[in-house]
Amino acid sequence: MAMLELKSVNTFYGRSHILFDVSLSVEKGEVVSLIGRNGAGKSTTFRSIIGLTAPFSGEVTFKGSPIKGLRPHQICRRGVGFVPEDRRCFPDLTVRENLEVVARRQKETPSPWTIEKVYSIFPRLREREKNLGSQLSGGEQQMLTIGRTLMTNPELLLLDEPSEGLAPLVVKMLAEMIIEIRNEGVTVLLAEQNIHFCARVSDRGYVIDKGALRYGGKMSDLISNEEIKEKYLAV
Amino acid sequence: MHLSFLTIQILSALREAAFLFLISSGLTLIFGVLNILNFAHGSLYMLGAYFIFWLTIHFAGPTAFFFALIAAPLGVGLIAMLIEMGLLRRIYVQEEIYQLLLTYSLVLILDDLAKIVFGADYKSISKPACLSGAVHFLGSTVPVYTILVVTAAPVIAVLMWLLLYRTRFGKVVRATSSDREIADALGINMTRIFTLVFGIGAVLGGFAGALAGPVRTVFPTAGDEVIIQSFVVVVIGGLGSLWGAAVGSLLIGALETVGIILFPNFEMALIYLLMVAVLIVRPWGLFGKPIKTRSLSEKNPGMDAREISPVHYSTHPALRYALLVGLLLLPLFAGRYYQYLLSEVFIAALMAVSFNLLLGTTGLLSFGQAAFYGVGAYTVALFLTKTGMGTLPALALGVLASAIAAAVIGIFCIRLTGVHFAMLTLAFGQLLYTVAFKWYGFTGGDNGIQGIPAKPIFLGGHPIDIWSIKGMYYFILVIVWVSVALLRRVRCSPFGATLKAIRENGQRAAYLGLNVKMHQLAAFVIAGAFTGLAGGLYAVMSRSITPDIINWTMSAEPVLITIIGGIYSFAGPAVGAAVFVILNEYIVAWTENWSLVLGLVLLGLVLLLPGGIVGAFNGQARELLVKIRWIKHWAFSKSTESKKPLEDLEPSRT
Repeated sequence: MAMLELKSVNTFYGRSHILFDVSLSVEKGEVVSLIGRNGAGKSTTFRSIIGLTAPFSGEVTFKGSPIKGLRPHQICRRGVGFVPEDRRCFPDLTVRENLEVVARRQKETPSPWTIEKVYSIFPRLREREKNLGSQLSGGEQQMLTIGRTLMTNPELLLLDEPSEGLAPLVVKMLAEMIIEIRNEGVTVLLAEQNIHFCARVSDRGYVIDKGALRYGGKMSDLISNEEIKEKYLAV
Repeated sequence: MHLSFLTIQILSALREAAFLFLISSGLTLIFGVLNILNFAHGSLYMLGAYFIFWLTIHFAGPTAFFFALIAAPLGVGLIAMLIEMGLLRRIYVQEEIYQLLLTYSLVLILDDLAKIVFGADYKSISKPACLSGAVHFLGSTVPVYTILVVTAAPVIAVLMWLLLYRTRFGKVVRATSSDREIADALGINMTRIFTLVFGIGAVLGGFAGALAGPVRTVFPTAGDEVIIQSFVVVVIGGLGSLWGAAVGSLLIGALETVGIILFPNFEMALIYLLMVAVLIVRPWGLFGKPIKTRSLSEKNPGMDAREISPVHYSTHPALRYALLVGLLLLPLFAGRYYQYLLSEVFIAALMAVSFNLLLGTTGLLSFGQAAFYGVGAYTVALFLTKTGMGTLPALALGVLASAIAAAVIGIFCIRLTGVHFAMLTLAFGQLLYTVAFKWYGFTGGDNGIQGIPAKPIFLGGHPIDIWSIKGMYYFILVIVWVSVALLRRVRCSPFGATLKAIRENGQRAAYLGLNVKMHQLAAFVIAGAFTGLAGGLYAVMSRSITPDIINWTMSAEPVLITIIGGIYSFAGPAVGAAVFVILNEYIVAWTENWSLVLGLVLLGLVLLLPGGIVGAFNGQARELLVKIRWIKHWAFSKSTESKKPLEDLEPSRT
C-alpha cells in the first residue's frame, strides 16, 4: 500500500483548469521529487493534497484511506505535513511559539518530534528562539517552516520549493537536512525547479508541465534523459 | 482650580475610557482574527445591559448582582457564537462588504427584538447597596461604582494579555490571525477558533453593557451610539491592536471630559477631529499595521466563492425609453400619493447610483455619503430661505458646494483603502453631522430648517410651478433622469473603464502608468456632486430638513440600496432604490417592527443573493449563455478524438 496516491486528479481555480489527470504515488520511506518550471502546477498539486484547493475530480488516498474533500486541518491531523513555499512562518510569533503552536502528537509515531529534536537538526533556530518570525533571514525562515511542520509529527512531508531564493551554501545544507529528516522515518514529497538539488536527495521523480505529468521514474534516468529535460525543464 | 475638581474630572475621564476599552477590546479582537468589522458589537453591548436588567429584577441581593455581572456577558457570548455558527460562517469567503452588511442587518434585527421583548421604554438598573455608596478620596467624593468600573478595565486588559500571550489558545489565535491558510494546513481548526474568538469578543461587549447598565440607561438602540464611538477608538488605536484600543480609549475618554468643559456642545466634533487628524498622520492608526488589501481570489484561493464578478449587459435603449415614457405618463392615472412616493424613489436612486460610482465601479466603500447629501441639502435650504435666489441657481450652488466638500474630504480619504477608507469617510460625515446638529445660529441645530419655499422655475421666461406634487414629480424626474444619464455616460467612458481597472487591481493599473489616486479623487468628487444634487432635491421636495440626513444611518442607506439592487450593474442601485423605498413604505404601514423586517430582508439578500436583484437576474442570463456555449463545445468535441495529457508518461514504477 502506497503512503500517498493520486489518481487522475483534476483541479480548478474558479473556471480555469489547472491540473489535468495527475496520478502519482509515494511509498513509505521514500524521497520523491516533483520537478517542473514556474507555474507548472507543483504548488497546485500540493494544495490539492493538503485540501487547500480541493480537487474537482479524481482520488487522493493517504495510507489507503481517501482524503479528498477533507478540510486541511483534518488532513494534517492524519499525518500529512505541508511546508508552503515563500516560507510563510507566522511573523508575529517568536521562533519558539511558531514551533509550539502547531505541536501535535500522532498516536503511532514511536519517537515524536519535539522542540529539542527540531533544534538538533536546525541548531540555528535555538539561537534565534526569542526572535519574531519576521526578524529571521530567508534561510532561517525556511528552517523554521520545515521545523514547524515537523512539530505536527507528519508521516509524509510535502516540501514546496525549499531551495527557492536561498544561497548555494544554504541549499547544500538543506539537502543534508532533508536526508536527515528521511532517516528519522519521514516520507518526503519534494517540489522543486532545481533538478540537481532533487538528484542529491531523492531517488525517484516526476516531471510536471502545464498541469500534467510528463515523466515518472528514477532520478538517475531523468538526469541522463536530455529530451525530457530540454522539453519540460529548460528555461 | 481645586484638587477635588481635578480628581473628579480625571476619574470621569477614566470611567469613560474604561467603558470604551471594554467595548472596543472585543471589537478589535474580532477584527484582528476574523477580519470582520462587527457592526453588531454595539447591539451585543445593549444585550448585555438588558440581560443584567432582567437578572437583577428576578434575583435581588448583592451576590446576585455580581453573579448577573458574570452571567449576562456569558449569555451574550452564547448568542454570538450561535450567530457565528449559523450565519457569519457562511460568508467568510465573500467580499468584506457582505460581512459588514450581515453584521449591520444583525443590528437592525437585535435592536428590534430587544424592543419587542423588553419594550421601547428606558430602563434603569438598581445597584446593590454595597456599590451605591461613595468614598472620600483626595478631598472629593467618589462613587464606589466608578472605582469598580475603573479597576475592571485594566483587569480585563491584563487577562486578555495573559490569554493571548501566555496560553496555547492565545498562540493559536495569534497564528490564525497572521496567516489563516497556513494555520489551517498545519492542523488548526479555524472554524472552532473563529467561533470562540467571536464568542470572547461578544462576552467583552456584553460585559461592558452589563457594567454600564446601572450608570447609563438601557434602551433598544443604546448600542448605536456606542458602536460609532468604539469604531473611533479602534480606528485611532489601529484595527486589531489591543494596545491601540487601550490608548484610543484613554485618548477619547480624556478628550470627551476636556471637551465638555472647554467646548460644551462640540465635544463630539472634537473626537471626530482627532480621528481625522490621526488618520491623516498615521493612516493605519497609532498601533495599527497596514492591511494588505487582497483580491477575492488571493484571499481565499481555491475556496468556492460564489461568483459575483461583474458582467455588463446593456439594457436595450428601447427599454429605457419605454420606462421614461411610462414614468412621464404615470401622473395621468396614479394618484398624488404614488407621485410623492416615486419622487422619493428618484432621489434615493440618484444618491445610490452616484454612490455606486464609488463602490461598484471604483471599489471604494464610502461610509460618509450623507455628508455630501447634507451639504447639498443645507446649501439649497439656506439659499432658498435666507436669500431671494431661485430654485435652479440654489441647486447649482448646492452641487458646487458638495463637489468642493468632496474634493477637500477626498484628498485625505483616497490615501486609504478598504475599511480604513470607509472609517475616514464616516469620521468626516459624523464631523459635519455634529456641527450641523449643534450650530443653532447657522444650521438651526437639531431643529433643522423649516419652511423652505418652493419657488417657481423660469424656463425661457415662463414660470413653471413646482408647488404642486405633480409639478414636483416632473421636476425631480427630469433632473434625476438627466443626472443618471450623465452618470451612465461617465461609467461607460474610457474614464469609467479606468475606474473599473483600478477596482479590479489598483497595483496593476498603477504599473500601466495610470494615476490611481487622481482617478479615485475624480470619482469621489463626481459622486459627491451628484449626491449633493440628490440632497438639494430632497430639501426642495420635503421643504424641511433636519440634521438626521447627515447622520451615519443615512450613509448606510445608499449602501443597503446598492447591495439590494446589485453593485456590479449600473441599473442595480436604481432598482434597489425602488425596492427599498417602496418596501420601507409598506413595512412601516404594516408593522411597527420595520427595522426587524428590513434586517431580515437584508440578511436574506446577503446570504442568498450576494449579487443583488439585478445581479441574480444577470447571473441567470449568464448561466444560460454558458450552457449554450458548453453544449456547442461538447457537440463539436464529439467529432474529434480527445487528447490524453498523459500520453508520454512512462511507467512510474521501475
